[in-house]
Amino acid sequence: MIELRNISKQFGDGVPIVALADVDLSVDAGEFVVVLGPSGSGKTTLLNMIGALDSPTSGSIVVDGTDVSQAGRKELFEFRRSSVSFIFQSFNIFPGLTAAENVQFGADATGRDDVDPAAILQSVGLGERVDQFPHELSGGEQQRVAIARALATGNPVMLADEPTGELDFITGVQILELLQKQAAEGQAVLVVTHNREISRIADRVVELSSGRIISDGPPAEGKAALEELHW
Amino acid sequence: MVRRPRARPPSKNCTGDVMKNTFLLLRWSWRDLRKYWVKVIAIALVIGIGTGAYAGLTSTANWRRDSNVASMELLNMYDVRFELATDSSVEEGALLAAAAGIEHADWIEEGLERVIRPTQVDASTATDAVLVPGQIVGVDISTGSPAINGWHLAGGVGLDSADAGAPVVLLEHGFVFHNDLPPSGVITVSGGEQLEYVGNAMTPEFFIVVPENTTSFAQGTYAGVFSSMETAQSLTGMDGAVNDLILTVTEDADRDVVATEVKAAISDLGVGVNVIPREDDPSYRLLFEDVENDQEFFNIFALLIFLGAVMGAFNLITRLSEAQRREIGISMALGLPPGRIALRPLFVGAQIALLGVGFGVLVGVAIGNLMKSVMESLLLLPIWLTDFQWSLFFWVAVVGFVIPFAAAAYPVWRAVRVKPIEAIRTGHLAARGGGLAPAIKRLRLPGDTFGQLPFRNLLRAPRRAVLTALGIAAIMAVLVGFLGAIDSFLGALDRGTSMIEGSAPDRMVVSLEGVLPVDSPHVAAIGNADSVDGTVPVLQIGARAQGEEDVDLLVEVMDLENEMWRPALTDGDIATVGDGLILAEVAASDLGVGVGDTLRVTMPVRTGPSSFSFVESDLTVGALHESPIRFSAYMDDSALALMGAEGAANVLYANPAAGYGPDDVQRELFSLDAVGSVQKASASADELDDLMAQFVGILQAVAFFVLLLAVLMAFNSASISFEERQREHATMFAYGVRVRKALRMAVVENLVIGVVATVVGFGGGLLMLWWVVNVTAAETMPDIGLMVELSPMTLATVIVLGIAAVALAPLFTARRMRRMDLPGTLRVME
Repeated sequence: MIELRNISKQFGDGVPIVALADVDLSVDAGEFVVVLGPSGSGKTTLLNMIGALDSPTSGSIVVDGTDVSQAGRKELFEFRRSSVSFIFQSFNIFPGLTAAENVQFGADATGRDDVDPAAILQSVGLGERVDQFPHELSGGEQQRVAIARALATGNPVMLADEPTGELDFITGVQILELLQKQAAEGQAVLVVTHNREISRIADRVVELSSGRIISDGPPAEGKAALEELHW
Repeated sequence: MVRRPRARPPSKNCTGDVMKNTFLLLRWSWRDLRKYWVKVIAIALVIGIGTGAYAGLTSTANWRRDSNVASMELLNMYDVRFELATDSSVEEGALLAAAAGIEHADWIEEGLERVIRPTQVDASTATDAVLVPGQIVGVDISTGSPAINGWHLAGGVGLDSADAGAPVVLLEHGFVFHNDLPPSGVITVSGGEQLEYVGNAMTPEFFIVVPENTTSFAQGTYAGVFSSMETAQSLTGMDGAVNDLILTVTEDADRDVVATEVKAAISDLGVGVNVIPREDDPSYRLLFEDVENDQEFFNIFALLIFLGAVMGAFNLITRLSEAQRREIGISMALGLPPGRIALRPLFVGAQIALLGVGFGVLVGVAIGNLMKSVMESLLLLPIWLTDFQWSLFFWVAVVGFVIPFAAAAYPVWRAVRVKPIEAIRTGHLAARGGGLAPAIKRLRLPGDTFGQLPFRNLLRAPRRAVLTALGIAAIMAVLVGFLGAIDSFLGALDRGTSMIEGSAPDRMVVSLEGVLPVDSPHVAAIGNADSVDGTVPVLQIGARAQGEEDVDLLVEVMDLENEMWRPALTDGDIATVGDGLILAEVAASDLGVGVGDTLRVTMPVRTGPSSFSFVESDLTVGALHESPIRFSAYMDDSALALMGAEGAANVLYANPAAGYGPDDVQRELFSLDAVGSVQKASASADELDDLMAQFVGILQAVAFFVLLLAVLMAFNSASISFEERQREHATMFAYGVRVRKALRMAVVENLVIGVVATVVGFGGGLLMLWWVVNVTAAETMPDIGLMVELSPMTLATVIVLGIAAVALAPLFTARRMRRMDLPGTLRVME
């Protein structure tokens, strides 16, 4: 589903800052992958490359059959519309739309007309909050709306950037459960975090340091259950 | 025992710290300005246009007042004028003697007898035919320029006692100026007399030329011919006679008493006399007395432009400052007092204000120069005092300076009232309330979420949306008022022209030199001219109707069943008019009468072959006609018996014969005896049209600044909205929404603002237009009955500007949207 070959990314014109160096990565459909690393390791840059929000300095990225490193501007919009869906640390849901309308936005963006926002919100535990505006929801509820919006796109790749970063532990666990569920249903789910505890529930943990992958494999102590997490 | 730490003593360099800190904030605010430099300049321009337009537009009252006073004083305009009834005259010296014999003769400072008679002037040059009606004004020139209503020489040389009786004259400067005539040359007047004009001069009664028998301004189509008394008497066949007296009175005099006594004394001479106080002189009234009313017209527009700019600037600066809300919270968290926190945005406000005031001076000078050049070409005065009105500009600049401060301080004031943590927070805890968005939660708007978002965004921030819409609405109102005023003026002209042309569009009006029998050889000669195809005799008389408001009338008495031309009626029927008056609708309205009502009218009754006296009669209002000219009135010739003037005429309507044009008629009739002037019936409307072109020029030039203001506000609003919505746009782009769709949403959002602003502005503009037409114009130009009119072009301009330009303003942000740093904007940063 996701194939990265020799991906490098440098920033700056003068003395370049290397964000990623010769990264190779493959993610299959149905995999729940956690990209782990400290601040400045390049993990968000990696996520942005996969989501075609940014382009690599060199190397190739193929996601859902599209070579995003070679695609033109129009193709990139089409790619984002049909292949990936994002979940952001600060949610980025639209304050002017209700929960249901935010979910509907995901469907509208991809041109889907077979989506029932209320049903999707029900599936993320917000069946009673469909008509609430974002400012009437808690942080956890807002992030669930963001996940529901991502689900409404029906896209095969879900990219989450520090999805629990602004949430308390219990809410964070609930969000992770939702993401796990999506992977189980066949989506490729990539979660970027600096929280090592979260990586314990992943199928695979890709650890970055200074723009390089220093490890890639299942959690060192084996895959943990959600109930075992604590932070 | 725990020792408490000692409080730190105040720094010896406390003042230095404060200064350092202040300079840091100043530098920081300077960086803010550089960051938003396009918006800063645009906002400063909004302030500049608002303050500058106000100063420029409101300056004309002071200019006109000062210039009028100086010009009148220079030429010693009369205080009261005594005009003998049409074709009446008395022996030279009789009028002065009558004035000298009144009880309060000591109140009279100076007196001047004159001969004033209409004529026709041929001032054609080798390249241009200039054949116009005019007026010969003869006075005593023993001391050069007359003592009252003096002549200010604008070109050539003046007259002196040696020119008395000689065929040497001066031409009125406006006539020379508008026809581009040389400063000296030869003209021919009625009767074929050739006169040498040696110069051109200005005189108070001709500062604005409103001839008795025309509707309004006629600077280029009416010739004032100034000569010695003897020359004028010789030219008009009034040897040894005069028909006009002007007086100045002492400062402590009761002018009304003098006027009454002199009028009685002149009446005792057996002639009718019309008393004209200086304030009723058309030139004086239009120039001087109506300055305030004219200024009201510009003041209301200036104020609205200013208010629109103030609202716009306040809104834009507030939104700019609100972007610093989080930084204000951080400062609060760091313990800075609110006063210090407010410094940085206030510095930004001050710098915008300074720039705005600077622009204001430039715009003020630009608009001032524009007004000045139009005023100077419109009103030919010997003295023009047009200094930049710093006092007017100062107060408006103070407001223009304070607004950015208030606008910058407002968000700070709001921010420091919350806990620092609330200001710092990002994410869900910082989510702002939904404004009025929840109010339409249940209302399903058509379309998908992309269709909902623009409306929801507007309702999320209703205060901001309303302020933006009101700012643009104020500008739209000014535009509707401006353009509507032009439409209303032009509409009145069209209605007037339409009636005057009627079924005989080339109809010529031939003014006779006096009242003649219609069967006289002179009248017959006109009818028999090769270029003329039929005539209609008309007796044209001045009258005054008494009603709720007294109205002066120019009554044309003719056979209303004639086949050439008759007035078009809006009420009543020609067949039933009888001896009644046909009034203009505006005259009937001002008099408070309708068809069938009786009206008391002071009108001339013939007392001798060439003399009339005024008597009061009760006349029925027989019908109303469609012309907007208030003084224009008509009667059937069956009413001539009332005036003792059966079979008499002083005007003929003449239709050009087949194969001849108006110029041919003018040239042929000019050479005939008893012809005073020949002009197209529609000439006065054409003159007004030309004058309106200049007035329209001012309005259009100001309209340009108004358009610029609207575009600047729309652009700024769109630009700030773009920054406020950056994260939402970035989220959309992350979900694959195309830039054009995001732009479309921004366009829809602005479209709603544009529609609301245009509707509100249109309503406000109509109200303003109503006020201009029914209050200001009714006072300033009582002789023209204006109606509120809006042309399709005005409607199109307002719609295009108010809706299309505002709606399309977000397209300016297309480039920035396309180049948006998505990861940075989404804050997916490590």
